[in-house]
This record gives sequence, structure tokens and C-alpha cells, in this order.
Amino acid sequence: MASANSGKGGSRLQAKFFTHQKQYSVAETPFSVPANIVVSDLSDLINKLLSEDKTEKEYRHVDFDFLINGEFLRFALSEHLEANGISTETVVEIEYVEKFPSPQPVGSVLHDDWVSCVKGCSDRILTGCYDNHIRIWDTDGKVLYTFEYHTEPVKSVAWIKKDTDKCTFASGSHDQTILIWEWSEESQTQRCLYCCRGHARSVDSVAVDDSASRICSGSFDKTIKVWSTAQGEESPPENSEQERKKVKTDTPKPSTRTPLVTLEGHKEAVSSVLWLTENEVCSASWDHTMNIWDINTATHISSLTGTKAFLNISYSKQSKLIASGSVDRHIRLWDPRQQEATVVHSSLTHHAGWVTSVSWSIDNQHQLLSGGYDKQFKMWDIRSPKAPLYDMAGIKDKILAVDWSIPELLLCGAADNNLHVFSSGGIKLHPSEDGETMER
Amino acid sequence: MASKRRSTREPSDIEEQLDFFVDAPPDDDEDDDDTSDDDVSFEDDGSGNDGSSSDEESVYSGLSELTDDDEIGDIITLKNDSESDEADESSAGEEEETESKKKITEEAEEKKLEEIETEKETQDSNDRDQRIKDVSSKKTAKKLEDKALPKKKLRNQKLLESHLNRLNEEKQETEEKDKFEEDKKEDKERTVDISSLPSSSNEKQETVDEYEYDSSDEEDIRNTVGNIPMEWYDGFDHIGYNVRGEKIIKPPTRDELDEFLSKVDNPDYWRTVFDKKNGEDIVLTDEDLDIIERIQRGKYPDATVDPYEPYVDFFTYEKMIHPLTRRPEHKRSFIPSLSEKEKVSKYVGAMKRGWMKTRQQFGKEQREKEQRDVYYNIWTNEEDTVLSKRQLSHIPAPKVRLPGHAESYNPPPEYLMTEEEKLMAKSKEEYSGRPRFIPQKYDSLRTVPFFRDFFRERFERCLDLYLCPRQRKLRTRFEAEDLLPKLPKPKDLQPFPTTLALLYVGHTSYVRSISVDPTGQWLASGSDDKTVRFWEVATGRCLRTLEVEGPVQCVAWNPNAAVSLVAFSIEDKVHIVNPKLGDKLITSGTDQLIADYKQPEEVKTSPLVEWFEAEEKKQEEGFRLCLKHFKPVRQVTWHGKGDYFSCVIPTGQNSSVIIHQLSKRRSQNPFRKSKGLVQCTSFHPTRPFFFVATQKHIRVYNLIKQEMTKKLLTSAKWISSIAIHPGGDNVIVGTYDCKLSWFDLDLSVTPYQNMRHHKQAIRSVCFHKRYPLFASASDDGHVIVFHGQVYNDLLQNPLIVPVKVLKGHSITNGLGVLCCEFHPNQPWIFSSAADGIIRLFS
Repeated sequence: MASANSGKGGSRLQAKFFTHQKQYSVAETPFSVPANIVVSDLSDLINKLLSEDKTEKEYRHVDFDFLINGEFLRFALSEHLEANGISTETVVEIEYVEKFPSPQPVGSVLHDDWVSCVKGCSDRILTGCYDNHIRIWDTDGKVLYTFEYHTEPVKSVAWIKKDTDKCTFASGSHDQTILIWEWSEESQTQRCLYCCRGHARSVDSVAVDDSASRICSGSFDKTIKVWSTAQGEESPPENSEQERKKVKTDTPKPSTRTPLVTLEGHKEAVSSVLWLTENEVCSASWDHTMNIWDINTATHISSLTGTKAFLNISYSKQSKLIASGSVDRHIRLWDPRQQEATVVHSSLTHHAGWVTSVSWSIDNQHQLLSGGYDKQFKMWDIRSPKAPLYDMAGIKDKILAVDWSIPELLLCGAADNNLHVFSSGGIKLHPSEDGETMER
Repeated sequence: MASKRRSTREPSDIEEQLDFFVDAPPDDDEDDDDTSDDDVSFEDDGSGNDGSSSDEESVYSGLSELTDDDEIGDIITLKNDSESDEADESSAGEEEETESKKKITEEAEEKKLEEIETEKETQDSNDRDQRIKDVSSKKTAKKLEDKALPKKKLRNQKLLESHLNRLNEEKQETEEKDKFEEDKKEDKERTVDISSLPSSSNEKQETVDEYEYDSSDEEDIRNTVGNIPMEWYDGFDHIGYNVRGEKIIKPPTRDELDEFLSKVDNPDYWRTVFDKKNGEDIVLTDEDLDIIERIQRGKYPDATVDPYEPYVDFFTYEKMIHPLTRRPEHKRSFIPSLSEKEKVSKYVGAMKRGWMKTRQQFGKEQREKEQRDVYYNIWTNEEDTVLSKRQLSHIPAPKVRLPGHAESYNPPPEYLMTEEEKLMAKSKEEYSGRPRFIPQKYDSLRTVPFFRDFFRERFERCLDLYLCPRQRKLRTRFEAEDLLPKLPKPKDLQPFPTTLALLYVGHTSYVRSISVDPTGQWLASGSDDKTVRFWEVATGRCLRTLEVEGPVQCVAWNPNAAVSLVAFSIEDKVHIVNPKLGDKLITSGTDQLIADYKQPEEVKTSPLVEWFEAEEKKQEEGFRLCLKHFKPVRQVTWHGKGDYFSCVIPTGQNSSVIIHQLSKRRSQNPFRKSKGLVQCTSFHPTRPFFFVATQKHIRVYNLIKQEMTKKLLTSAKWISSIAIHPGGDNVIVGTYDCKLSWFDLDLSVTPYQNMRHHKQAIRSVCFHKRYPLFASASDDGHVIVFHGQVYNDLLQNPLIVPVKVLKGHSITNGLGVLCCEFHPNQPWIFSSAADGIIRLFS
């Protein structure tokens, strides 16, 4: 029916459809489709093919997206082929995938100040704020606890471990410390376990390894430090006198922890760190480089050199790619396995300002989130690098942090004092609630 | 004819003889029919009486001969008559002709006689001429012999040739030849007979031919008086004499009546003409009339003549496949030319003897000669030759300007001078001493007087040409594009700030001054809204705000990264604040440093400044020290090490610059005299130099020697700001008259380059500490970023390229961008404007 509708005039193409999603597979016979067919028509066509075997009742309509040579079809088929230089004479092989449903705004959670960092884990969301507090939220937007110990704005947070009743996390702040917190949800008690001292400037980034035993932190003082999360071993406050002084000035509640390893080599501030593997840390810096370090030997392995200062990086275990946001409008994808690579794997360009934050999807190797100073929150599929999959609207100021650790929720902390939450599943998690009710 | 020729040949012309002999041999090759042909006929013009001519022709010729003979007879008779009557002048020409003809006939007879004589003479001849004749006769004899004696022929030929040679060389008599003569005596006699007979007939023919077309006898000679006016005979009864000398009687005179009657009666009257000479009426025939008519019309009298016959181009350049005439090629064309042979043999001989040389030989000899005579000029050296070459090279004399309309003898009126102009010209002439040409008008070229300066001008021109050294002008071609400096493309000069990245929003009034901390994490800004704000550079977050008592004029972050202090000036006060940002150790250390200060025993400080410690309340906010000056402070500048800072008090007269020392809390006034309205000051980044910019000049002082080392002349009206290159050898100066000047201190005290890219007053200039960048901020709301590469090589001048105009600031109250400052590490620039917003371009 679709082909009949759109086949009024113009040329026709031979197209073959295939998919890697087994439940939606159709016969691999070439179809003749009009050249100017668009995605919706193609989707209808596939749906019709699928529904032929089944009865009306048991078939559920599915929206599909179409990939030609690994790129999403976004406009009419002929235009796409022309733009990509694909011959229209041969049979065009079109891959179709179930369409990623458009994210729905769930609501926004108002903070007292700019939300500088956000991290989700299963059903809890951790946010760091410029009012020096860390807050923990449930997915409904209710604040569960506020942690007040930092003396300066919190710049980064990271989950260490989350059990049903007890969870631990780390936070880095402008006050040059990393705090390791323990919080029990049932008893509503919090403890600041350790205060990691050693950085001479604001701690801009903290990252926890997979085994949750070590924390890596990047700071404005150009160093990367690795800390242990192991509990029980109270490190005595020895070291230098200065260290001791600092302990004195702070409230002596949490025990002080010193870094296991200090990695020096960046010429400028380290803006972002992450764990690539058990022993490898990648750090992005304002000196236009990303360095990969071996933690065990505390040596520099390789460098990825860009042309602009990096602001944020994110690593996907699925696609093995590093996405970077820098002080220009491009999101660049890097392959860390390439030694001394200077070549960008690919770049995603649609932002208008600095891209301050990127976050890969935790379960999808193609998708990532990005937010920038242009107030745009975007979801990308790297197979369509020219345009994002979705633009999430409603953010009124600079985006400082995005997170996709909870697959269903797209989190975005912005300078408009809100944590913006979008649901990615296509189903509204809480259809009754809107932004107002979410507010604290 | 033949005999005649022979007679001409008589003076032993060898060439002719040779010709004759060479021509002869091919006769042998001719057809057998030619036997009748003798040497004479062969030499003849070929008038058609060949023996080979067809029967018809011969018949015709015979007829013509007959007629001719008759005519000749007539002529002779006539001639005789005319000879008898000598008075007859009209036929004088004809007489001559006839006489000549007669002579020919006579000659022919004579020749006959001669030939007979020669016949006799051959027998006892020793004369050379005779011999030649003999040879010729021999030849003909030989020809006759050919048939009978074919073997003899060859021998004869050889003999002939040898004889020829001999004749050529020495012409000596030989016995052999005599033998020959004796042998062929009888044959010769016969040939002579044969040759003599046709020659006479030939002659006769020619004379007849001559008279065939003669029209002289057509003349009317009935009256023999000749061409005289017939009036002479008016008085006589006769009008002349006929050929016999008898009187021709006048016809009876006719009166008018007769005339009239004949006019009426005679139908041919109109064509009747009276012949005065013969005294009779002649009726003109139709042909005559036709001729008259044609003459009257200006045509050819003869109707048959067509002057416009179609031209047949016989001798075209096109090659014709058929010959023009059927006439076979002349025998002569097949025979090699004897004269040429002669010449060739002469040349060959000359060449053999070496008198003559071919061109190749000559060239070869020349070359050999050259090789033999090689002389080396041992006194020349190359330079001289080059020089002389240049000197000798011809340089054409400059051309004299061609005269124009003004120089014309009759110039157009617009070229003529009026009286006033003439006076002007004269006065100019007096002034310059050079006569000026005044155009003058003359009616004709004839009236133009001699140019009085002609000789002088010629002479001067000669002098010019002779005395003035001429120089070859090297013509250089300039194109406008070549004059422009070759600047690299801005694209190749990256990185530099290009796009607006961040806004720092919070101030509500003019942000007069901004300063970035040495690590590049924080930004301090002072505004007219009586606040000083501290911003996080990366996010644009205002982290701290200090409320102060007045509008902030200047903010300066201590450049020493080990100290965390910011100085800012508010009216007459300068506050020193610890912003408590950055490393905790440093901030606490800085506090410690200030707290550790102990009042020295000897207080030696300027009475113009008072140092205070901040109050307890303010201490918490971060205020540490306060310096109270006697007049408003406009600018605070730190020394690179962070201990000294200078304050500018524009209205302070002789103490308008005060240098403070932080560690000792001491102030000093370095200058005793006021040099002008001090605008701003700056410390040299590495050396103990101090730059003071007054309204128009920049003075560079050596702080150790305490003297002025340099005075930079900006040629500006009002300097607004200066910035020192981190290398210390270059200074940029921004002025209120929109000009940005770059000084290279090693080069000169005048600007190396002036740039006028702004449309409004320049408020601020700055250098980047790491990248080769500098920028200027102006009231027109733009910040212009330049690439300013300074090279270590002193010979290479700085490369200055404007790379980007950064727009975005709005103009409020006529003020645009008030301050600009580069990020210390990144290629970013901050700019603060009158609209209260600080922008970051990256």
C-alpha cells in the first residue's frame, strides 16, 4: 500500500531488506520501491510484510529505522543515495532496525544551584551541585538525602558500589578533595568515609573502576591520582606537614586518604578521566591530548592528540570507542586501541557551542548523549553522524553534565539549576507527573 | 646571306668559328633527307624554304616569288623615274628603301663573284680566312662523304677536334690539314656551287617580302608639287606638274550659282570633297565616310581593330600539358653551348692551376689560416671585457618629442594663447630661464619665419647626446598585488579565538577591567556596579562577588602563581584581596605572608600613600590591604614577580606614578618631574625596565640605572593602553585615535607598523603569553585578533597578520569593549564591555 501511494510518479529502485533483529526478519527478495520513498513509508512496508503471516490481533505495529551502508536514512531514499554516492542501478541493500522511540520528558528536578554533575545507578540518581551539596534522588524525582561536607562546589560524582540498602560513592570538588561516602537508604544514615587529599586544585573528574576498588581522579593541577576505595585500612595522617595542617583545618571526621599513584604528564588541567580496562586509565586534558596510562606501572602508554582542549570524555565498552567533547562544537570519536593515533575515528557535529559532556549508552553500542553550552541536549546514533537522533528540548541554560547510566533515563544537569530527566523507553515512566510535581 | 656572314666573319673571330664548328657535328645525326641541306641553309633564319617543306608551301612561295619579282620590277622603274626627278621630295623615304634593296641585290651579285673567286683562290691560298672557309667546306664535304665513307667519318671527326684544339691554342698551320685540303679539293668545288645557288634565290625572296606590305606607292602622285600650300599656285593657271613634268591645268573656277545647282542636283553633294592638289571633286566612298565617322567619335579608324581584345595569358604560371606552338624545339636547344663550354673549360683550367677556388676550399683555407694565426691577448681580464661590453653596447638616443598641434604653423584656436597666458608664459620664462614655446598662427607655411632657436636647439641636442651619459633603463613591471606584503592565510595561523564560547553574566554596569589568574582557572572583573567578581573560566560561573565602595577602575591578578592576590583600584584606594580561589595551600600561604609582615623600624615611605590593613569584617571576605592615595588611581600593574606594583594617578602631577612594594609595604615616587598626563604603565616581563605612556609618547626607564633609555614616538594624539610582548622587545600601543602601533624596540623608536582596523577608539590591547597572538579592543564593539610572530633572528621582522574580528558586544553609551585579556594557556580571549557582559572567545 505504501509503495502504491508513493509510486505516483518518478523512478523506482530495487531494494532488498534485511535485519539483524531476528524477530523482524523478512524474506530477502528485492522489492521495487519508488525513489522518493521516505522512512515512514518504508516502515509501513516492512510492517505489512511482517503482518502477512500473523493475524491482526497478535501483530503489534513496530516503527523501523533504515540503514544504508551503515547510515541512517533521514530523507527520501533517492536523495540519500545521491548524497552518499550509492548507485541506483543495483539492488540497494537496506538494513532495518526497530526505531528507537523518541525520548519523553519525565520532568526536571530543581536544585538550589547549578547542577554540575550527575550520575545514575539502577534507580538512584546522584547529583553534585554548585551549592556544595551532593544529593541523592530516586527516579521519581524525590530527594532521598543531601550530603553536605564539601566546602566548595562539587564538580564530579561517581558511584562506587550500590547495594539494595547500602551504597558508596565518591565526589570531587573545588575544595581539592575527593570524598568517599557511604549511605544507607533504610537507616537514612550517611557517613563520609574518607577524604582524599592530594590535589592542589579543583577535582574536576572522578571515575571508579569496574571492580569498585580504585578511584581515579583528574584535577586542574594537571595530575591524575588513583585512590583506593578499600574500607577499613585507615591511612595514618602522616606525610608532610602541610598535609597535617590541612587535616587540622578540616573537620577531622573522615579519615584522610592519600593517593596510590600520581600520574603527571599533562601540561594543562585534566578535565576528565575514565577507566578503559582494569589497569588502564584514560585522561583528557586542556592541553589537547588524551593520555592512556597504565596504573600498575604508573606509566604513560599512548596519546591521542586533538586540536582543542578536551572537556569531557566517555568510553563505551560495547563499541570500544571514546567519545570526546571539547571546546569546539564537535563530538569526536576515538579508537583508544590505535597507538599514538591522531586521526579521529569520526566526528558528530550538530552542537553550536562547546560540548561539555558526553555519555555513551550503557547497553547500546551506537548511541550516546551529549550536552553543550548551546543549551542543547542531544541523543546520537553514531551511524548517522550528520544529525542527532533526537534533540531534547526544554533546557534553559548551559548543560554541564549528561548521564545515561540508567538505560531508561536520560539525565542532564544544567546551569538552569535543574536536573532534566527524559525517559528513553518510549513509554512515560510516570505519565501523571510533570516538571512541577517533580520539584522538590 | 651566307656570303655576307662569311664576310663579317672575316676578321678571324675564333669564337664565331668555334660556334660554327660545334654547331656542325649534330648535322651528321640528322635525317638522310638533310643531305640537300647545306651549311648556309642551316644557318638561315628559316623563312620556310627548307628542302623539307611541303609541296603546297613551295608552290605558294613560288607564286609569291613571281609576284614579288613583278613588283620589284615596278619599283625599279619607279625608282628610276624618281631618281630622274630629284625635286620629288615626297617619295624620298621610299627611295632610300629601294636603294638599300638594290644594294642587297648588288651585294648578292658581288658575293657570287666572290665565291667564284674563292674557288680559284683555294688552290693557292695561304690566307687564314680562306682556310677557315676551307674548313667549313671540308665539313660539308665530309658530310657528303659520310654515306660513301662511314669509316672515314670517325677519323675525320677526331681530326677535326684535334684541329680545333690547335686552332684554339696556337692557330698554327699543319701539314696534315694541307693534306686534307688536297684530298678534298674536288668535293669542295662542288659544294661551293651548291651553296652559292640557293643563297641567291634566298636573297631575292627577302626583297620581295619587304615590299609585300609596303603602302608607300598608294600615295597620289599625279601632282608632284609635294606638300606645299596650294595658295602658292593661286596666280597661275596650273596647279602643279605631273610626273612627266607637264603642267596640270587648274580646273575652271565655279561660282556660287554652280555651287548651288550642284547642291540641289547632285545627290552626292554632301559627300563630295574638292581636292585642291589635283583640282578635282572626289566623292567619298562609304568606307571613307565610315573612317571619318569613327575618327570623329574618337574610335580607331580601322573597324577591324579591337583594342579590347580578350587578353590571352600565354605565359601563365600554370604548367601547361601541351606546348604553346607546334613548332619543334630548335636544334640549338639540344646542342651544348660552346661559349659555356669555353667558360667551363676556362674555369676548370683556372681551378686546376689554382687561380680559382671553390667556396669550400676558400673556407677551408680561411680556417687553416685562423688556426695557424692564434694570438692571445694576455693583458685582458674578464671584468674589463664585461665592462667594455656594457659600455660599448648601443643605447639608442632618446627620441625627440614629436611636434603636436601646438607646434603647427596653423594651430587650432584652442592652442593659441591669450594675452594673459602669454604674459604668464613670459614671466615663467624669466623665472625658469628656459624659453617657452608660444604657439603662433600663420596664414600659410610660406609666411612662417625661420625658427630662431633652430641652431641653438640642434646644438643643444647634440650636446645632450654627446655629453649626457645614457643609461639602459631596466623596465620593471609593477603590479598592485606585488606591492602587498605576502601574508600567510589566517587559516594557517591557527589556533586563535574565532567563536563566542561563553558569557559571564552578572555585572550590571560597565566592566572596566578584567584579569585572569596565572593558572587560567579564574577570572576577576571589576565593574562600575561597585562589585568585583571572580568567575570560573570553564563554566562561566561567578564564584565570588565582592561588594566595594565605588566603581572599580582596574583589576590586576598577581602574576606570581605562588601568591593568590588580586589588586583593584577604586577611586583613590587600591585594595589587595585574597580571592581564596585555587590551591588552598597557596591561599593560606599568602595570608600567612601578609600576616607575617612586621613594621620596620625605619619607615621610609612616600607621604602620598597610606597603607592600611583591612578590617576584621572585611578580612573574612578576603580583603587584606588597602592603599589610600591622594588622588584617584586609574591603573594598577603588577611586576612579573608579583612583589612590586605600580599605580597610575593621572592627575597626580609630578607624582603620577607610584611604585609600591608589597612585601615591605613601601611606596616610592620614581619621577620628580611630570612628563605629561600619564596614561598607563607597564613592567618589562624579564628585565628591569619600566614603560610609562604619557599622552603622546612612551618612555622606557631602566629601574636599576634610574635613567630613561628610550622614548617611543607614537605619532598618536592620545595613547589609551600599552602591552609588552612576553619576549620584551616589542610593544603594542593602542590609541584613542583608532590606531594600533607595533614597536620593535630593537628596530627604532618609531612604530614598525601602524594598523588602523578599528573605527573607534582603542580601549585595550593585550598580548598572549604563549601563542603569537595579540588583540585590540575598541569602542566599536569589536575585538580584533592579530597574529604577531616575533622571530629570534634579529634580521627578521615580526610578522603581523590580522586574523579575526570578534563581534558580539553591544555598544552602550558610545562605549564598546573596555578591556580584553588573553587566557594564559589557551588561545582564548576574554573581553569585557560596557554592556556588563564578559565574553570568552575560543
